[in-house]
Amino acid sequence: MNLFRPLRSLFGKSQLERDMAEEMRFHLEQRAAERAAEGLSPEEARYAAERRFGNVASLQEQARADRGWVWLENLLLDLRLGVRSLAKSPGFTFIAILTLGLGIGANTSMFSLVNGIMLKPLPYADADRLQHVYRVTAQQPEGGHSPADFLDLRKAREPYGDFAVFASDRVSLSDPGKPAELAFAGRSSANLFALLGVVPQLGRNFLPDEDTPGRSQVVILSQRTWRNRYAAAPDIIGRRLRIDGEWHEVVGVLPASFNDWRHLGNVDFFRPFTFTPEFSRDRKATNLQLFGRPAPGVTPAAAAAFVAGFGERLVRAHPAEHAGSSWRAVSMQATAAGDSGGIILPLLIGLSGFVLLIACSNLANLLLARTMTRAREFAVRAAIGATRLQLLRPLLVEAGLLSLAGGALAVLVAYGFRNWAALRSTGDNGEFVWFEVDWSVMGWAFGASLFTAAAFGLAPALFALRLNLNDTLKSGARGSTGGRGQQRFRQLLIVGQFALSMVLLTAAALFIRGLHDLHHRRAGWQSARLVTGGVALPAGTYADAEKVHAFQRLAVERLASLPGVETVALGRATPFFHWTDVRKFHVAGRTRPAPGQEPAAMVNSISPDFLAAFEMRLVAGRAFGEGDRATAPRVYLIGQSTARAWFGAEDPVGRRLAQIAEGREIFTGEIVGVVADFQSVDPDPNPVVHHVYQPLAQEATRGFEIAVRAAPGIAPSTLVSAIRDTFAALDPDLPVRRLQPADRNIDRALYQLGVLRDMLGAFGGLGLALASLGIYGVIARTTAQRSGEFAIRLALGAGRRDITRLVFGPGLRQALAGALLGLIGSYGATQAIASAFPGIHTNNPVVLAVTTLILVIVALLACWLPARRAGRIDAIAALRAE
Amino acid sequence: MAKKEDLLQGTLDMLVLRVLSRGELHGWGITLKLEQLSKSALQVDEGSLYPALYRMEEKGWIEAEWRTTENNRRAKYYSLTRAGRKQLEVATESWDRMSAIIALVMQSA
Repeated sequence: MNLFRPLRSLFGKSQLERDMAEEMRFHLEQRAAERAAEGLSPEEARYAAERRFGNVASLQEQARADRGWVWLENLLLDLRLGVRSLAKSPGFTFIAILTLGLGIGANTSMFSLVNGIMLKPLPYADADRLQHVYRVTAQQPEGGHSPADFLDLRKAREPYGDFAVFASDRVSLSDPGKPAELAFAGRSSANLFALLGVVPQLGRNFLPDEDTPGRSQVVILSQRTWRNRYAAAPDIIGRRLRIDGEWHEVVGVLPASFNDWRHLGNVDFFRPFTFTPEFSRDRKATNLQLFGRPAPGVTPAAAAAFVAGFGERLVRAHPAEHAGSSWRAVSMQATAAGDSGGIILPLLIGLSGFVLLIACSNLANLLLARTMTRAREFAVRAAIGATRLQLLRPLLVEAGLLSLAGGALAVLVAYGFRNWAALRSTGDNGEFVWFEVDWSVMGWAFGASLFTAAAFGLAPALFALRLNLNDTLKSGARGSTGGRGQQRFRQLLIVGQFALSMVLLTAAALFIRGLHDLHHRRAGWQSARLVTGGVALPAGTYADAEKVHAFQRLAVERLASLPGVETVALGRATPFFHWTDVRKFHVAGRTRPAPGQEPAAMVNSISPDFLAAFEMRLVAGRAFGEGDRATAPRVYLIGQSTARAWFGAEDPVGRRLAQIAEGREIFTGEIVGVVADFQSVDPDPNPVVHHVYQPLAQEATRGFEIAVRAAPGIAPSTLVSAIRDTFAALDPDLPVRRLQPADRNIDRALYQLGVLRDMLGAFGGLGLALASLGIYGVIARTTAQRSGEFAIRLALGAGRRDITRLVFGPGLRQALAGALLGLIGSYGATQAIASAFPGIHTNNPVVLAVTTLILVIVALLACWLPARRAGRIDAIAALRAE
Repeated sequence: MAKKEDLLQGTLDMLVLRVLSRGELHGWGITLKLEQLSKSALQVDEGSLYPALYRMEEKGWIEAEWRTTENNRRAKYYSLTRAGRKQLEVATESWDRMSAIIALVMQSA
């Protein structure tokens, strides 16, 4: 069996055909010569020979069928015909491919997002075995751990496997001769990378004893830091850098695959912890992230049970620190960034599926209309004996070609989306959302194309199969709009399209509106004339509280003297976002609740002018003043609803408040005032609702925000460089992070929601555009096909308005029915968004009404254009054309 | 036509193989030989020989070569391959068996 023969017969067909013809001719000539020799005339002899031989063409066809890959030949032929027929109507083809490309593209982009975020394992060895261990308290369901607890756990780890800890920190990184930069640094136990199964690309891992005092001045750089800051220098190992003013030696560079934005990939470099005796005794801290790798053979359930059991032992052994807490181990993959999106990714996939469905039904409609105009051609072909398969093949091939082209376009769209997402999400730290358009994405794109080809190719195919030969041939040249059944089907498609686009549009509009409200929520504070930025004083240079306070006093003084500056304030946090410093409090003089049950509040340490700078309102008592120094008695401010919750109708001013730490009351001080409630722009509700303020001068705070308020009439952006210069003059090694107008910082923080908003907006716009294109196309084509009928109506005395109404009415009815159905669907979509972002208000009847109105107006326009044209038919010309 | 084809398929192939087992021939030559051997009793569309030839060539039972005849015409000469010879044996054997069975049934019934 010759493997190549079928191919040869396919491509070298002419040679084989010639051979076959020549051989048969030879035979016929010989036979004819024989008969001629018997006395027949040459003419008769030839006929006789041919009679005996049989049908040459059919024999050749049979021979061809026997030897070649006929189906492949036919397919190539069909493809050629399909391409030619599509090329003949470039407008249709263009719209079809564009529709499909965008529809599938939206879907593929969403898949690549899910693929990159949820489906791909983290870049660690056996990543699915790794666990993240949380300490759960009433205030913090995903809390961290203390060094002492970690060391205890490490001693008891045997039945589990191994544990490692990690903590992130902002530090200043400086090389000789370069300006200091703020870096996102991590500290880890020496075994972190061994536990994760990550091998440095250059150099080595931390040695097991490098987290002990005196040995921990070593650093492993991330691939990104190595490339960006050190130009991928091959001799980086052994170099020395200054981190927070201390010298460290580079011992390793992590592989590029470690730069996964979902987990630790945005850390610039890692250092080992230093487990000094003092640090190792610390049982208060809650900033260590704890990772575990169960030993082979230990099931995740058994591992989680061990962790929970260890948490219980801690509660019994150290009730002061651990009362009311428990430990919980979850799969690390589930804790990776983006995985917490919960309902959002399925929602996006679902909505992009709607776009695809609209695209499909649109194409089904277009193809159906196209097939109907070719009804006669089909009828004739069926009449001369084409089989069903032969009738359907060109239709299916056309659908297949379109969807392949659409799939290719979709891959391009997905690439574009990836780049857009990377661009949109680029943070100031160089961290960004990155996902590959890999084979699974390509597979999805072409899978979706196949699905769509089946979905929209089916409609015209069914039509062609049901074709009534007799009627079609009889109906002659008169335009046909298809039977009642087809009409009903096409109307249903339009209704469906409008229903789907209504869902898309309302979901998008409500989200955009809700996010806009959130974005511009200035509840209890103002940001208009502010410049904000973050400063982190290195612990090495600013070792004691006195140095920190001196720097802060000096900074406020210098900044306040800048021209155009009205107010200067420092604070641990701005009111723009949730405060992360959560502490427990107790009202002095009352009975103490059980350990762990004390009320928790978010704490902000603020300078005297903080409230003024942010225009936060004081409702009772006084604000902090210059007198509230480290040496003065402790004072507090509390929020209004906090005052209500803790003191009821009593006046809180003058009462005394204490912080609870390690079960003891500390820092007892007087409440001197009450601040009006405010709300941040964070979309997630904070489990902690109470607010407590303390003077910045009474507690050394190395990481703080600066807020500079411009005088009226001065644009805040003009102050930025002067502020930067001021800090450079104070400490040339000190970077100021994100120093820019406050509104821009707020925008920046909400960028992820902005990305989501843009995607939803694109879906909504796309859905509406496709649906209106669909209704326009169908009505325009129907109108064109019915021009003969309209002409007769006109000739019989119908007014042009009647004709317009005839076209306009049904189209509008379908659009409205769709919109109404869609309203029901939008309710579901809205509920889904509301459950994902409780901070965003989605019940907005005005937006709903406006969206419906927009949809109706677009539908009106899409129907009106062809309807008007129908009314303008030249009756005589139309009738003559028949 | 399809029916006739089915009926003849196995036997026509066998006959052609048999004819070719005596030496290579072109299509016309095979026709003449069949006619001569069957004393012109075999009535077939002569053309159906050719699809059969191509099919057998495909299966590797026969191979073909273009050469000139003694009358200086180009013609495609077919000859048996090793596989063809084996096939002929198999076909002959099964034919013998089949005809013996049929004969047995026809005589005893």
